[in-house]
Amino acid sequence: MRRLGVLGSVLLAAVLLVGLCGTAQAVEPIKIGVAGPMSFTQGQGHWNGATLAAMEINAKGGVKVGNVKRPIELIKVDTNEFMSIPDATNAMELAITRHKVDFLVGGFRSEAVLVMQDIAMDNKKIFLGCGAAHPELCTRVTKNYNRYKYWFRITPINSKFLGKVIFIQLGTVAAMMKQAFGLKKLSVAIIAEKAAWNEPIVAAAQAALPKMGMKVAGVWRPSPVAKDVTAELGAIQRSGANIIFTSFSASVGIPFAKQWGELQVPAPVVGINVEAQKDGFWAATGGKGEFTQTLNTYARVKMTEHTIPFFDAYMKNFKEAPNYTAGTYDAVLLLAWAVEKAGTLNSDKVVPVLEKSKTVGTAGLLAFSKDHDVIWGPGYVTSLGTQWQGGKNMAVWPYKWEGITFEGTVPVKFPPWVIKRYKK
Amino acid sequence: MSLVTAHLRRAGVIFRNEVLVLPSRIAVLVFILGLLLLPVFTQDSYILRILILTSIFALLAASWDFLSGFTGQMNFGHALFFGVAAYSTALLNLHLGIPPWGSIPLGALGGVLAGLVVGIPCLRLRGAYLALTTLSFPIILMGVVFAIPDISGGELGISGLARLSESRVGDYYISVLLMLVLSFAMWKVTDSKTGIILHAIREDELACRAAGINTTRYKLMAFCVSGFLAGISGGAYAHVMRLAGPSTLEVAMSFQVIIWAVFGGMVSIYGPVAGVFILFPLMELLRFIPQARMLVFALLVLVTLLYMPEGLIPWIRDKIETVCPRCKARNVASRSNCRVCNAVLD
Repeated sequence: MRRLGVLGSVLLAAVLLVGLCGTAQAVEPIKIGVAGPMSFTQGQGHWNGATLAAMEINAKGGVKVGNVKRPIELIKVDTNEFMSIPDATNAMELAITRHKVDFLVGGFRSEAVLVMQDIAMDNKKIFLGCGAAHPELCTRVTKNYNRYKYWFRITPINSKFLGKVIFIQLGTVAAMMKQAFGLKKLSVAIIAEKAAWNEPIVAAAQAALPKMGMKVAGVWRPSPVAKDVTAELGAIQRSGANIIFTSFSASVGIPFAKQWGELQVPAPVVGINVEAQKDGFWAATGGKGEFTQTLNTYARVKMTEHTIPFFDAYMKNFKEAPNYTAGTYDAVLLLAWAVEKAGTLNSDKVVPVLEKSKTVGTAGLLAFSKDHDVIWGPGYVTSLGTQWQGGKNMAVWPYKWEGITFEGTVPVKFPPWVIKRYKK
Repeated sequence: MSLVTAHLRRAGVIFRNEVLVLPSRIAVLVFILGLLLLPVFTQDSYILRILILTSIFALLAASWDFLSGFTGQMNFGHALFFGVAAYSTALLNLHLGIPPWGSIPLGALGGVLAGLVVGIPCLRLRGAYLALTTLSFPIILMGVVFAIPDISGGELGISGLARLSESRVGDYYISVLLMLVLSFAMWKVTDSKTGIILHAIREDELACRAAGINTTRYKLMAFCVSGFLAGISGGAYAHVMRLAGPSTLEVAMSFQVIIWAVFGGMVSIYGPVAGVFILFPLMELLRFIPQARMLVFALLVLVTLLYMPEGLIPWIRDKIETVCPRCKARNVASRSNCRVCNAVLD
């Protein structure tokens, strides 16, 4: 009888244990697929940003869905989209059908993201874009809302607004030149790497500059992988340009900045130089890239109360400054917030919450237009202008633009050789 | 009724005496049956997607083999035919509303046109010169694509195409059947009198011309046939992806086709098909080692070509089968006498 009692206790304990384990197993993680070219810096940014967000959420116990707190589990979706579009589609299909992800964030190359978007929409998975800037991705939401409503763009601002920001920054530098040196009419040299994505930017610059009261000194199109641009810089100097407008995404951004500093071309540089957004730029140019100004997304300035803690945490964990694809951080936090608010993972119920959302992200106030594009403008996400000053990539724009100056932003500095050239 | 029975009996005899006697033919049979019956066992959309794309690229690789392997017209810009057809198909589908069954063959005619455009100026070129010239065509077209974004969609391409069919299984059967039927047709052509002439042009064009063969006509025909078949794969690809973009014209696409074909075994049609069916799914299997994925792929191709210079499939075939020195019939390697003429095998 006593033996039966012991056996009964063991059985009872086993049942309880199984029950407890069952309860523990019932807390399924929320699976978020982080899609990006993981062998490249853009994909690394995607992954790092999302990792940081997941760490923060999980440290707080997870996301509250109904009465249960569920942890975030990230699934790495290596799209390899620079090399192969089919690879990207296969990776998306794998993530959705095999890994059973609940949501997706990331994407970079516009052509690939279009196809990836279709796969996510086929499966009614919310896909928060964090890399591709083409407006068509959001136009699809307007054209066919019921199919594409699961798509939202978090970062970057779309290419039309990116263009607008560059010209605002160019206008700001031009106004400073006029004010500081008493110049009447400025001429601008356009130098853009020979790549397809630059065609509309060059055309827009040629059209916009005369409207902004400036003259086009000439257009130079070096190879994206050029190692020597002294010929172009010499020609720019001879053209008498007062400002150099750059548009570089490839490695040519480094020799350009280095040789511009070495030759001391008397014209400040403003525009896009993706290499100048990276931490390694200073070392790569041997410090000669000082005063290079570029469009940027992140710098250690207080765009919102979350920017500096995010920037510091990112630096601490990954030993580099975040690039714009690290906006997956905001994407994952936004998803967690929306899921808690909707009380479910059901995409159809989370979408209306996201549509009405107005949350403070790391790059500004995150809200969406009717086509699910992140809103750009004063009070929302604005983007940044940064300039290398004394070995640091400092935020220089917005500076008193529409009444906005982020804490930590400094004024643009002109190189001494520019001041020497124009100071009377 | 008796006629049907007679035909069936004859087919049975051929099947027993011609197919079941050779391991390579049994392997092909198993491969075809496996592909056709797969959806009965699984309709996993991921697996089906991989096999749909594999089938499309297998047809593309086989079409390259037809031109470069059999005819010896070394084409380093095969993506041109693929891309032109993908764009033509997309424009026909999107602007004229032509459904896939019409837009794909019509788009493939764009591939034929591209074949002529490339073929005519390349008639006098050979070897490295021909390879480099063909390589330039897709690069030129890529420039045109970016120059006319209103028509081509620029860097984004043309999107929003109709689906190939209403379901993934439908897409699968269309792609697989297209690949099987067209590859078989290509194989039959290469096994015919025309195929022998194409072989001869590759080996010695001067001798062919001396024998009264109009090699220009045959070379142009090879360009057009290859362009059409690559075009079919390009059109199918556009409908499966629902997009025709600049990536279809990339140099990497042209080289990928060559790697598949050379790995599988050139001058065989089935070699490139097998090459794609091994390498494309293999890249998916290697996703568990993302950092070493390309390295493993490159090493595999390198080692294969080092030890099997004629490609994987011909190497395997030569190991398991022998050719009769007298009647040239193939036999299982274990046989000591030819199954046809009873000659002693080496």
